[in-house]
Order: sequence, then structure tokens, then C-alpha cells
Amino acid sequence: MNPDRAHRMLGLAATYLVLLATTFLVCFPLIWALSTSLKGKAEIFATPPTLIPHEPTIDNYKALITGRPQYFQSGSERVATGSAPAEFFGRWFLNSIIVTVGSTLISIAVSTLAAYSITRFRYFGRRIVPYLSILGYMVPSIIFVFPLFLVMVRLELTDNLLSLILGYVSLTLPFCMWLMWAFMRSIPIEIEEAALIDGATRLQVFRDVVIPTALPGIIAAAIFSIIVSWNDYLFGRVFLNSLDNLTLTVGVMLFFEGTHVDWGLLMAACVLMTVPMAVLFMALQRHLVTGFGAGAVKG
Amino acid sequence: MLIDTGAGRGSPPPLPASRSSARRWFPELSDNTVGLLFIAPFIVTGLFFMVYPVIEAVRMAFFSYNPLRPEVTRYVGLANFQFILSDPLFWDAFLQGTVWTLLSILFQTLLGVSIALLLNRTLPGIAVFRGLLLFPYIVPTVVIALIWRWIFNPEIGVVNYALIATGLVDTPIYWLSTPDMAMASTILLNVWKYTPFVVICVLARLQSVPQELYDAARVDGAGAFRRFLDVTLPQLREVLIVVVVFRTIWTFNKFEEIYLLTKGGPGTSTFNLAVYSFEQSIASLKLGVGAATGVVMMVMLLIGSIVYLRVSGFGREEAGA
Repeated sequence: MNPDRAHRMLGLAATYLVLLATTFLVCFPLIWALSTSLKGKAEIFATPPTLIPHEPTIDNYKALITGRPQYFQSGSERVATGSAPAEFFGRWFLNSIIVTVGSTLISIAVSTLAAYSITRFRYFGRRIVPYLSILGYMVPSIIFVFPLFLVMVRLELTDNLLSLILGYVSLTLPFCMWLMWAFMRSIPIEIEEAALIDGATRLQVFRDVVIPTALPGIIAAAIFSIIVSWNDYLFGRVFLNSLDNLTLTVGVMLFFEGTHVDWGLLMAACVLMTVPMAVLFMALQRHLVTGFGAGAVKG
Repeated sequence: MLIDTGAGRGSPPPLPASRSSARRWFPELSDNTVGLLFIAPFIVTGLFFMVYPVIEAVRMAFFSYNPLRPEVTRYVGLANFQFILSDPLFWDAFLQGTVWTLLSILFQTLLGVSIALLLNRTLPGIAVFRGLLLFPYIVPTVVIALIWRWIFNPEIGVVNYALIATGLVDTPIYWLSTPDMAMASTILLNVWKYTPFVVICVLARLQSVPQELYDAARVDGAGAFRRFLDVTLPQLREVLIVVVVFRTIWTFNKFEEIYLLTKGGPGTSTFNLAVYSFEQSIASLKLGVGAATGVVMMVMLLIGSIVYLRVSGFGREEAGA
């Protein structure tokens, strides 16, 4: 092996070492949560702590999925933990899915149609839409939440999942609008013109030419909207109150409000909450980057 | 032909055959009607969900409003603003929020650029590393806050265990119950979650830097570090400005990252303006005061946005078109 080649190999090894170390550090909190969730009550508090559980158990997951009430052992007695009951977990999961899907559908439909309109037709005020959207995108949710809450009170929608579906439109529509605008204007208009000359109607062109071409943008906007709706805590906290109606983020925080924190259960809940986002992320990672390209780094 | 490619994905029958049936489903609307029909849902939802809440938030700032007793709502002029400006807690929250923002952005940018440079190579398996390093961005804040409370637990947390076992500290660090450490923990959480955002933006830009620039620099005898300073950094300037402005605006107004980890505590030591506004609205039931804080936040946000629009050249090409 000549010295130049050895030097290069060494450099490569160092690069991988740095990459591995960085990745481990970044992923450690998640790995640790996964590890804790798979441990029994005794092993969680063992010193030294174990990264890979000696006696892995899926008890915590079973408790969440089957909704078994939680107890902790105090002497010979079993004492209820007093925290929010695990039996609602399945319900909360479903609620989160409903709210996320609902608000995403609204935001995507509205923004796709509007983006087509402002990039293909000329009328007064169309140029202000992207500006308005970027401003709306920057307004933090803490400013939206109370005015919208008062609207929901008047509509008698509080403690109703519909209020969250509508509320999340405030958070997701501006960015979806902006992204779809950026995407639509990058689609060459000539393809549509050719189709129109061939005798297709506007709506046919929209369905058969524009939507398929804009699909990567639509997917990117949808991913963003799903992430925002799934991860929100503030709106759920303010809009909802009965245990039945909570979303995952609000409900899981209630596990904390007992006399005894069951870390294994809590970490299992964290893992289950992250899994849908992880699956989505892995399946559509390429589109996520597209979204950032069109949106966040424009200019 | 182009229509056929499009139709092939959606409707199986070739276009000429289906044209008459499609005509029936799609009435031939004039272009103006289509344009208006398509923008109408956005106008309605935009007015209702983007414009109205902001206007209402500003209006509320001039009223005394208790959500439990809406019948005694009354106009109070600038009293809410006078209240917050003379409230020491408001100024504490302002300063703490500023410290939180500046340190978070500093570390996010430094780490983000470093990781992006690390990932900007063609190595076998690099895609896996890219995926894993971007992952924190999509983890729900609630999840991160709960994991943080677990690993930074003073008695049974793994971080303190590791620090003591390696002899770096002698006594457990009270990460979330002493003011300075609580601030450090929230900054760490924020950096962990949002560095991937910087990485994505910088990486996208790095990949569009023309290779010739590096080749030319190499011919001129520039080393790796010189190439970074003279080629990479100038190319990154624009995207970095945009990212920093963007992240500053957002970080300053963040609520969940702080509230879920420390509830603003211990005491009020990690309050920022968003937490202050929330506490005034929910705990003290002074929606007007909370709204006035929101207006202050919006004014700063507006200034930030104008800076952003300036530096990013947003809309410049629009005007030229």
C-alpha cells in the first residue's frame, strides 16, 4: 500500500468515525427512550443503567395498547398512580390521526387550488397572496390561539375535534400556500397551453396535467402540515378538556400529573407517538428536502 | 401526447375516447370563472384563519377581557401596554427570551454548518447518516421534552450518571431546577431539535456550489481550510443570513419548547414572552394583557420579516416579470 493511499484510507476512517459519533450523540435521546420503554420496572432504576435491556419486555406497550390501569407497588399494596389513565391512549391516538388528516386535507386542497389560480390568471391582488402567506407563516401559534379559541366558543365547538381541525388550518395553510405557489410557478405553462390547444378544458388540464406535475410539491406541503398538526400541543391544550377528546400530545403530558411518574410507560408512549412520523419521514424523505428547497431556502 | 402522460396516471382510458364523458363532468367554464372559483376557498379560509385572528389579537390588546366573565369586557385603551411595560416580569421574560434565542441560534448555526459540511460528500452509506441526522426535526416537542426530563433527571437520569461515572462532576447537576441549568437545558433542547433545519438548508446550498470553483482554488494551491474560507463561506453567505433571520424570529416566539420542559421555571427563570403571554392569559385570566404581549411580539416579528424580505430578495423577480 503506498503512503498516499494509506493517508486517504486514514482520512476516510476518520470521517466515518466522526459521522458515527455525531449520529450516536444526536440519536442517543431517542435510543435511550426506546431502551427505557423496553425495560421492566426494576431495570429502569438499575445502576449502572443498561443501554440494551437484559430482560426486554413489552409490558409498557401492552399497557398502553390494551389500556390496562397502572399501579405501583408500595410494600404489599398496589396503589393507583393517580396519573391520567393509560386506557385513553388508543383513543388519543385516533383523535390525533383524525385531526391531522382533517386539517391537512383542508390546507392542501385550498392551497393547491389557490396556487394554480394566482400563477395562471391575472387579476388584482394576486401578488399579495405569497407575501401574506409568508407573514402568516411567521406568526407564532401563541398569537393565533386565543382569538381562535373565542371563535370556537361562539361556534360552540370547544372540546370538539372539529375545533382543532379548523384551528390547525391557521398553522398549516400559510406555509402550504407559500410552498404550492413556489412550486406552481416553476411548472412550465407551455405543457398546459399545448393541452388547451388540443381541446382539453381548464378543469381537465388541471386534473390530468397540473396535479400530476405538482405532486412532489403537494406531498412536501402535506408532510409539513402533518408534522405541524401531529406535534402541536398548545392548540390542543387550550381547545380541548375532556379526557375522551384529547390528542396524544396533550394526553401524554397528563401522565406526568400523578404522584408517581411511570417512566417506562411514558417512554413507550413517546416511542409510539414518534413512530408514525418516523415512517412518514423515511418513506418521503426526498420530498421533505424538496419542501425546504422550495420554501425555506428560496432566494 | 403530453396529456396522455398525465391521463395515464389518473384515468386509464385514452383521452380521445373519454373526452365526451369528461366534458359532461367538467362543464366548460371560462378561464375567469375557473380563476375565481379556485381562489375563493383561499380567500374565505385565509380571511377567517389568518387575517381575522391577527386583527382580533390586536383588538383584544385594548380591552380588559376575562374569559370566564365575558360580560364585563371593556375598552381600556393603552392600559394593558402600560401594565406589561411596568411589569418587571415582562422585562425579565424579554431578556431571558433574548439570551435563549441568541445562544440557540449561535449553536444551531455553528453545528448546522459543521454537520452539513460533514454530510456533503459522496461516501457509501452517507444517505443513512443524512436521514438519521435530520430525524430530530420531526420528533414531536412533547416527546423531546419528556425524554429530556427523563435523561436529565437529577437522581436517576442517565446524563448525570454518565457525568459522575466518568468523574466530570462530583455531585449531581440539578438540570431543571436551578435557573442557569434550566436555561441551558432548554437551549440544548432547542439546538437538538432545530439544528437539522439549518443542516437541510445549508446542505441544499452546498450541493449547488459549482465544482469548478473548488478545482480552480486547488490549482491555485489552496488547502482545505482556505478553500472553505474563500469558496464555501462566500457561497453560503446568503442562505446563512436567511436561515439566521428566520430562526431568530421563530425561536424568539417559541412557546412549547420552554413550557413543556420547565413551565418557565424554576420560578420564572426561563420565561420568554410567549410563556409570559400564555401565563397572563390562562393563569391570570387577563386575555387583554396576553394579547398586548402578543402585539409586542408581532411588532418585533414584523421588523424581522422586513429584514428577511430585504435580504432574501423575495418578490424581486416578481416585480421584474
